[in-house]
Amino acid sequence: MTKLFACRCEQIAAIVRKDFIVGLRRKASFAAMMMFALTAVASLSLSTGGAPIDPKILAAILWVVIFFAASAGISSTFDDEAQAGTLPTLKLYADAQAILFGKMFGVFASLTALTIFIVPIFLVLFDVAVEGGLLLSTTILLGVIGLSAAGTLTAALTTSATVKGGLFPILLFPVTLPIFLPAIKLTEFAFTGAASDSSLLVVMILFDAILVTATSILYDYL
Amino acid sequence: MNKVIILLTLAICAAIIFFVPPIKGLGDLAKIIFFHVPTAWVSVVAFFTSAFFAAKFLREQNYSFDKLSARAARLGFVFVLLSTVSGAIFSKLTWGAYWNWDPRQTTIFVLILIYGAYLTLRAAVSDEKIRAKVSAVYSLLSVLTVPFLVFVLPRMYFSLHPSPVLNTSGRVEMDSIVLIVLTAAVVDATLIFIQLMKRDLSYNRKEPT
Amino acid sequence: MTEKIFFDDVSLSFGQRAIFKNVTLELRGGQIIGVTGANGSGKSTFLKLAGKIIRPDSGAVELPAEKKIAAVSPEMKIYDGLTAEENLKFFARLRGKILTAEKIFELGNRVGLNMKNFGSTRAENFSTGMLQRLKFAILLSVDADIWLLDEPTANLDDDGRKKIFAEIQAAKSDKIILLATNDNAEVEICDEIICLPL
Repeated sequence: MTKLFACRCEQIAAIVRKDFIVGLRRKASFAAMMMFALTAVASLSLSTGGAPIDPKILAAILWVVIFFAASAGISSTFDDEAQAGTLPTLKLYADAQAILFGKMFGVFASLTALTIFIVPIFLVLFDVAVEGGLLLSTTILLGVIGLSAAGTLTAALTTSATVKGGLFPILLFPVTLPIFLPAIKLTEFAFTGAASDSSLLVVMILFDAILVTATSILYDYL
Repeated sequence: MNKVIILLTLAICAAIIFFVPPIKGLGDLAKIIFFHVPTAWVSVVAFFTSAFFAAKFLREQNYSFDKLSARAARLGFVFVLLSTVSGAIFSKLTWGAYWNWDPRQTTIFVLILIYGAYLTLRAAVSDEKIRAKVSAVYSLLSVLTVPFLVFVLPRMYFSLHPSPVLNTSGRVEMDSIVLIVLTAAVVDATLIFIQLMKRDLSYNRKEPT
Repeated sequence: MTEKIFFDDVSLSFGQRAIFKNVTLELRGGQIIGVTGANGSGKSTFLKLAGKIIRPDSGAVELPAEKKIAAVSPEMKIYDGLTAEENLKFFARLRGKILTAEKIFELGNRVGLNMKNFGSTRAENFSTGMLQRLKFAILLSVDADIWLLDEPTANLDDDGRKKIFAEIQAAKSDKIILLATNDNAEVEICDEIICLPL
């Protein structure tokens, strides 16, 4: 059992490393994700022209930008391989779970990079004073975990679709809602410094766990 | 069975029009609640039915379960739309606004999104076998939102919506005739749903995807 | 050698087209089993069923327990963005093998690919024949028990063919080897032929 587990970890590491190397050489989708987020934040900031915005709305804007930028960036997680014809080879040589978690870690890494890039820009352009920095970081981390899990499975689902335009966010949104709504509330608390409701953090942790587990179980059926 | 359902439906309609007293201060249109509650109930039932058959399909790889899962989702989509519209009308009459994102309205809207996403996914995958697998997996993934919608959402947002069974402490006075008619309407709608699920199967006609 | 793949009443169809109907047969190890048939008769599908890469609509395919499968097939591409060496190392790693430089060189030699010269070339710059050799080197690197070969020597020159035929012949004693082909030279090395009807 432990041997099997160790073998999985090696496989996962190999897949993450492979995707990283290929990703570095073909930066297109990563760059698209970053630029999407930047464009969205810039256009929103420009159009509101420095008018004071309710923290509640700011929190919502931040998460909507993260959600759609993530959609743009991670929807092709399996697609790239399917189009290049390497997915059947990968599926033959690696365990299904290793592929899933390899891809999931890759998605997690690129979404983490996305938030590290876009959140400071967002805070500066909208002139947000963050009262709870730790709360904000925790919330974003938990949100990114959930998005990675659900996003990876959704990317696997949409790979076989013949019509793809816009399909990914349509599928992803309802299933990530349970982490999305608490994330927006918590982000609002982090902006205003209001006494935070720790039960919402628990909800996010719980749903992250549920999503990761369910993704792992359901992927075996694909 | 069809005859029973038609008779029951007619009886309920008659009861709603003639026997149910007008709801205090809301007028006759408020009787749309007798349409709203049963359709809402069926849209939730259809959601779980669809997920149930999806799980059965994944376990047994029998494609007729995939067809049933898809049919439940299609019916559920129709019912959820009817329920949302009738609910919005009732909301306007009682609280003065069509929509205010209270937990139950959010829930039903999420249900619309899930049904819509599921049906879009089915339309987007052309290979039958893959479509069956992929949509079953999505159906089960979307069920995960249920605990959130039921347990977490109501705590996060303030609600105007009466508790599931209209009760005496709510705004709407509920006497026994209302309760009886409402229960009958819910049973009737459920029967209609079951009958629609069966009907398509017995005709065995070519399924639209 | 008692290892075998067993098809138990297997049926499979694509849409309305039935490819296999109630197929029951046994594929025994220790020999090269050729799978032939006209285009569209389901040679590649047969291999995929045998490797449990796809599932039959009904019936079952039984493999000897814990057996590792490797394949060379036109449908299974390798990573364009990785070099030849990176590709080899990656797939071997997935099967828990760490390849040394000597091992990589040796594998290259066995398929007629000089890894000292081409090891650090990205696969996107390879010709079809070289890709084919590299795919075969990957197959050799993972020590599989079941080989699924779908036209393994298509696009290869005589030297490449000879080398790969020799490898297949040398490996057959302790493996189950399925070779889908319509090529006369490939058919000739098979010990047994299954001809699929259309």
